[in-house]
Amino acid sequence: MNRRNFFKLSAGGMGAVVGGTLVSDLDQSAAVSKVVGCGHPWWVKTIDKPKLAIDDSVYRRFESEKNVFGSFVEYYGMENVRALRQRSQKKRQQYFKEKRPGYRLEDRALADAGWVISRLGGLNRGTRSWTSKFVTPPEKRGVERYQARPDEAARMIKAAARYFGAAKTGITILDRRHINAVERGKKIAFEAVNEPYSNDEKLVIPDKCRYAIAMAVQMSLDNIQCSPTAISSAGSSMGYSRCEFLVAGLAEFIRGLGYVAIPSVNDLGSSVAIAYDAGLGEIGRTNRLITPEYGPTVRLCKVITDLPLTADKPVDFGLLEFCRVCKRCAEACPSGALSFDDEPSFEVKGEWNNPGHQAWFEDSPRCLAYWQESTSGCSICIAVCPWAKKDKTLIHEIVKASSAKIPVLDALFTRMDAAFGYGRQKSANKWWRLDLPEYGIDTTQGRG
Amino acid sequence: METKDSHHLLKIRKRPWLIWFLRLVWLAWVIFWAEVAWGSWKELEPRASLIALVIFVVSLVVGILLWARGYRMFRKS
Repeated sequence: MNRRNFFKLSAGGMGAVVGGTLVSDLDQSAAVSKVVGCGHPWWVKTIDKPKLAIDDSVYRRFESEKNVFGSFVEYYGMENVRALRQRSQKKRQQYFKEKRPGYRLEDRALADAGWVISRLGGLNRGTRSWTSKFVTPPEKRGVERYQARPDEAARMIKAAARYFGAAKTGITILDRRHINAVERGKKIAFEAVNEPYSNDEKLVIPDKCRYAIAMAVQMSLDNIQCSPTAISSAGSSMGYSRCEFLVAGLAEFIRGLGYVAIPSVNDLGSSVAIAYDAGLGEIGRTNRLITPEYGPTVRLCKVITDLPLTADKPVDFGLLEFCRVCKRCAEACPSGALSFDDEPSFEVKGEWNNPGHQAWFEDSPRCLAYWQESTSGCSICIAVCPWAKKDKTLIHEIVKASSAKIPVLDALFTRMDAAFGYGRQKSANKWWRLDLPEYGIDTTQGRG
Repeated sequence: METKDSHHLLKIRKRPWLIWFLRLVWLAWVIFWAEVAWGSWKELEPRASLIALVIFVVSLVVGILLWARGYRMFRKS
């Protein structure tokens, strides 16, 4: 019997005592929660103002060419990059010869294959096209476009997102500063137009697209725990491919209702900032989103739309306080890219960070350099995070709830987490013998 | 438990409420660690599972020994 069934049975027992009414209420609320797919556990509270401050006089739209992928050579130095690549290539060959677990042909083939759907899309391209050729709009069906109250529409969108593979979905009024100013050599502009369009100079988002739907897709923790090997890279690549399918499907669905939908994964703007505003989680020491249910074991994606939706609020589950004392990710980071500072600050580490908001900023070139050194990327900071758990035992729920409500226990929990052996690297060899669920994820996790 | 001709008779010794409360706490404690041991095993976390199993076994044995000691003292008196 799993935990949910146990609680259901308990609820059933109570219901028998109080006459059955309660059970029916519980069932109804559980059904709503299951469909909506946005409810967090009871120990997560919503807040009106984000805990990490934004300096409005500084925070601007980012030029994506400045991110570490776009300017790695500039940040790390051409000579260093060349030497790094040569070392990486040598190591790859050596690992192949040694048949080192996690770096063998089958491991690397799996990681590459995981990208297969993700490669079908890019900024306003393929599965991430801002318009569709396939969808049947309402006027072709001879009906008016979808009309509903924003809260009803939000509930429906979350149900659809869940159906397409979202672990969690949140909605926010789009803060345009989270959208990149320039990407792939084109300006991203907002104009008073009906449909998105692009030309040689710019990509245009209609002004009326005021809503952002942020979604988190689970990655397989069994893969991530093998970091830094190709098996853990397969966890990331599969996450991206599932994001691709999710945003493509949801965008087509919204277009089918008669509205504009702009799908995006890591392109277009900061998924972390949008997901934070939409209440999917808090931003941790890694400067990435950490959700209450899955910790950092998620990939994020988003759809921008003009379909009127009720916005969610940011959440607080004590993560900021936890990250202040934990520092396990920073200690485990082999490249020393993560901050050991006690407090998040406005001081960026380099041009790859977008200034004007409070965070534990990371040294991204160091991080990316280690991806090359390891020959297969790295997810160690995700694997060691005490919030990354499979939640198959009650103790995790108790610890998370206690951490959210009694931050003074955070240091104890951090030490206990290490003492219990969590965050240790798992065997990539054994991974192939695991009897994993579909996609390597437990889709019932985080469902209460 | 005594067996009469037509029915069984279960005798429960009267104890202070604090003893019953402690027994309940102990039972919950033991079940909790058993659940952690089993859940951690399913999570493929052998160290966590082992630690939980040790806590479970020690708690169970200590609890039973304490109960047996109390029972023996009661029988003697």
